[in-house]
Amino acid sequence: MTDLLEAVDEYQALEDLHEAGCTDGLPVVIPTPERVERMVLASGLDGGLSLGNMGPSGAAATVEKVAVAAVMAGALPDYMPVVMAAVRAVTAPEFDSTEMQGTTHCLAPVIIVNGPARHSCGPVASGFGCLGPGHRANASIGRSLRLVMMNVGGARPGISDMALHGHPGKFTFCLAENEEDSPFSPLHTLRGYDVAQSAVTVAGVEAPESVLGVVDADDPTSARKLLRGIGQSLGRVGANNAHFGRGAGVVVLNPDHAAALARAGLDRDDVTEGIFEFAVNRAGDLKAVATFDRRALKAEHDDVILPAFRSPEDILVLVAGGGGLYSMVMPSWGAGPHHNPSVSVEIETDQFCEVPGIAPNGSIDAPNG
Amino acid sequence: MRDGIETARQGLPSVALVTEEFWPQGDFVAQSFGMPTIPRVQLPHPVAGTGVESMRIIAEKVVPEIIAALEGAK
Repeated sequence: MTDLLEAVDEYQALEDLHEAGCTDGLPVVIPTPERVERMVLASGLDGGLSLGNMGPSGAAATVEKVAVAAVMAGALPDYMPVVMAAVRAVTAPEFDSTEMQGTTHCLAPVIIVNGPARHSCGPVASGFGCLGPGHRANASIGRSLRLVMMNVGGARPGISDMALHGHPGKFTFCLAENEEDSPFSPLHTLRGYDVAQSAVTVAGVEAPESVLGVVDADDPTSARKLLRGIGQSLGRVGANNAHFGRGAGVVVLNPDHAAALARAGLDRDDVTEGIFEFAVNRAGDLKAVATFDRRALKAEHDDVILPAFRSPEDILVLVAGGGGLYSMVMPSWGAGPHHNPSVSVEIETDQFCEVPGIAPNGSIDAPNG
Repeated sequence: MRDGIETARQGLPSVALVTEEFWPQGDFVAQSFGMPTIPRVQLPHPVAGTGVESMRIIAEKVVPEIIAALEGAK
């Protein structure tokens, strides 16, 4: 059972939590025993069940501790299956949560939601502004994970989280794929899940960066130009991936860009391979900036081409956002014992329990009964 | 820090080299991984990229401290 703190009122409790370094700097919902209990109940699981060990502290992220974070983040009980799946993914050994949280690089796990849980555990937004403010599920699911990483994992800036600058995605970083408007197979089916299943995919990445791509239906080279712009942005010379030649990369195609690529006869694999092909640098261009990349430093000549990723499979492509000129890329890190892979975990919705006393609007303060 | 802890767990004399900027993180990791007294030697920050002469000066200062820490860890 989690230790209880006491305060004379919620205002003082909030100040105490800020003072203790238990918040992200913004106000939180005070995790009273009643609120936490209801969140645990909604999970359908025992509060003491560990979902995994979160680095760098290595402490167990129990359902109850995750519920505390979800309450603090302002999540609805409906979101718990997604939050728990995200915690499982980040605590997977290959995600290297200790190194991910401790590195000086600016990384945050982006949470990508696929499958029916996008609707039943949300709605998790996948359209206009899905990476921005105004979407409660996106905002509070990502924030829940961050509070678990801080309060269970023990990440504190400048003490145990050594990111030199951090980035805004460390407050919250969650979106769904717009499967309905995508011409491609949903992202999670690449990981062996059926379209009827739900999954989160997490990748420790830099902040998203916009890529402008003007599509011209009269230009037969338009699709390839689009892939070039996206690939060069993802593998840009300042990104870690350019110098490590590995790590996960994330590409968020807007539906118009995705449709243009599909009209050109490209399927998901073609798109990913095209981006991989363009996510490269000349050895001379890497040597011209500050690099420790031995591939570049030992290259026979400056025109040797060095890929920013090991294989197309390391580049995650999904469709989300409003339709228009811009897609997004998220380069990553490439370091750590497992070299910064993405991890997918099924969202288990069959355990979810509707909690008596929770109002239809999801308010956790509704009276019992 | 974790490398030092892992080698110490294997029974090998170990000392972790930690720059002053990362000293608090070293404390946290040492506590978290159950070896709060793992021998450590503090380096100035930064070391990387400061040039050969700077590194030589740092090395001359810390080598005796590293040897002393390793002898203490035997």
